[in-house]
Amino acid sequence: MNNSQQTARVGLFFLLGVALIWVTFETLSGGKVFKDKGYELIAGFESLQSLKEGDEIRMAGVRIGEVKGTRLAPSGRRAEAILRIDTGVKIRADATATIVMSGLIGTNFISVDLGTATAGELRPGAEIRTKATPDLGAVMEKLSSLGTKLEDALGSLSGALSGDANNPGLIKKVDTLVTENREKIGATMTNLQQVTDRINKGEGTLGRLVNDPKLHDELLASVDQIKAAAGDAKNFVANAQTIIDQVKSGKGPLGTLVFDEKVSADLRATTQNLRALSDKIARGEGAIGKLLTDDSLVKDAKAVLKKADRALDGFDDAGPITAVGVVARGLF
Amino acid sequence: MKLLTDALEGLGSTLLLLARALSYTRTLPRQFGRFIEQCYLIGYTTLPIVAILSFFIGSVLALQSGFAGKDFGAKQFIGLLVGVSMSRELAPVMAAILLAGRVGSAIAAELASMKVYQEIDALVTMNIPPARILVLPRLAAVAVMMPVLTIVADLVGWFGGAIISKYTHFIAIEPESYFATMRQYMHFDSVLNGLIKAEIFGFVVVLVCCNVGLNTRGGPREIGAAVTRAVVVSLILILVLDFFVTRVLA
Repeated sequence: MNNSQQTARVGLFFLLGVALIWVTFETLSGGKVFKDKGYELIAGFESLQSLKEGDEIRMAGVRIGEVKGTRLAPSGRRAEAILRIDTGVKIRADATATIVMSGLIGTNFISVDLGTATAGELRPGAEIRTKATPDLGAVMEKLSSLGTKLEDALGSLSGALSGDANNPGLIKKVDTLVTENREKIGATMTNLQQVTDRINKGEGTLGRLVNDPKLHDELLASVDQIKAAAGDAKNFVANAQTIIDQVKSGKGPLGTLVFDEKVSADLRATTQNLRALSDKIARGEGAIGKLLTDDSLVKDAKAVLKKADRALDGFDDAGPITAVGVVARGLF
Repeated sequence: MKLLTDALEGLGSTLLLLARALSYTRTLPRQFGRFIEQCYLIGYTTLPIVAILSFFIGSVLALQSGFAGKDFGAKQFIGLLVGVSMSRELAPVMAAILLAGRVGSAIAAELASMKVYQEIDALVTMNIPPARILVLPRLAAVAVMMPVLTIVADLVGWFGGAIISKYTHFIAIEPESYFATMRQYMHFDSVLNGLIKAEIFGFVVVLVCCNVGLNTRGGPREIGAAVTRAVVVSLILILVLDFFVTRVLA
């Protein structure tokens, strides 16, 4: 093998190695040569549980940074996680951070919620609000106490059911009750059997209702009619409502009458006039009053009528003569 | 006592050899031909055996971890286990062991022969330091080639694990799932860690083998003894250093 061929092979081999290293790096680290410095926030917790450096920070499931470190607060009363948030990710002032366990093998991440859109943004170095989440140990402890209570409750229930020497349990009482009333219960069951038999055969109202399709159809028709009636009533109420609305808005004669001040005043005046008139009539004042209260007018009228009557009688007798006279005077 | 003296003597002469070789670093461009030749021997010709060995190491790792994890649902983490084990530990260590066996023995044999047949003495007489033309090109070549060999070992081992995970009936994990687990939980730090380790191991192996070869005394029989000694010392140093380097890098 000549020298240049050897050199070419070595060069190719080296390039292959560099390319493989680069591909591995791109695949495993997402191609970030220099880590995004981002900005830091402080999250204080009562306990960081098994949160550690390098754990992810996610907002709505999207990775937005990582835990840069953990420490005890200078006061010594709480633990703090330093969160490195990617540049460009805005975290609202009312957003809350919680420690979430993502797997049973102890992988944790910090979940930050979105906060409200109107809230301000957290500045670098600010402290984010946090919410404590119970760790697995606390949950197990609660489950244990729940188990104890459940055991007690089941024990009490068992005692109530089985009873003791002085106080027979529920089961025993039920047993006694059933034994003592065996015949009655038997009779009741027989009656019940008869009733259900009759219903099956279609006897009685209930039986017909269950077995007769015609009755069923009629019932449905009745229900339809009730529905239609309800619809009509609804329309009626709607119409009445419309009328009331119109009256309220002063439209139409009734509305005018109710809500127009001028018409109301006129009506009041008319009523007063009518009242005055009726008072006068009642007191016998005026022509109509006298006509109604003074009987002398009646007497006078009667006398006039009598006189007229007599006059007409006289006229009847002289009638034909006068008529002939009139005709003769016309002829000559 | 003699053993301790020998060990200290070996350590001292190795460090001196390193210092002498590094002092000629500026002559390296003039030795480009020798550098390329050593690169070819150390890297190119070692690649097939490294690839074959890494493939089977990755496969066995997947097989064993699948066997151990199948009873408690840990099969999906095989990708992570093989990925981290190969990149952080097995690829650099196996590459270094193969380097010691294949290249280190050759270096020790060559230099021991030159020493026994007084070629080294001739070079010294001609004022050509052996550290410059025999040691420096090899050190430079191993520094360039070791990361390449290691990354190839990493990738071939990962793929070996993936293939075995797919076609073994009690594991039966698709390569997508295997590599997804690896990508989710593994970082480039692990690979970088392995590359740094491999670089250190390769450098130590070549340096030790050169030193043993150059310090051979006696006749032709000593050549074989020198090769054995060089390989044994290299292997011991690889595993001892592995512990300390891992402690430092972790």
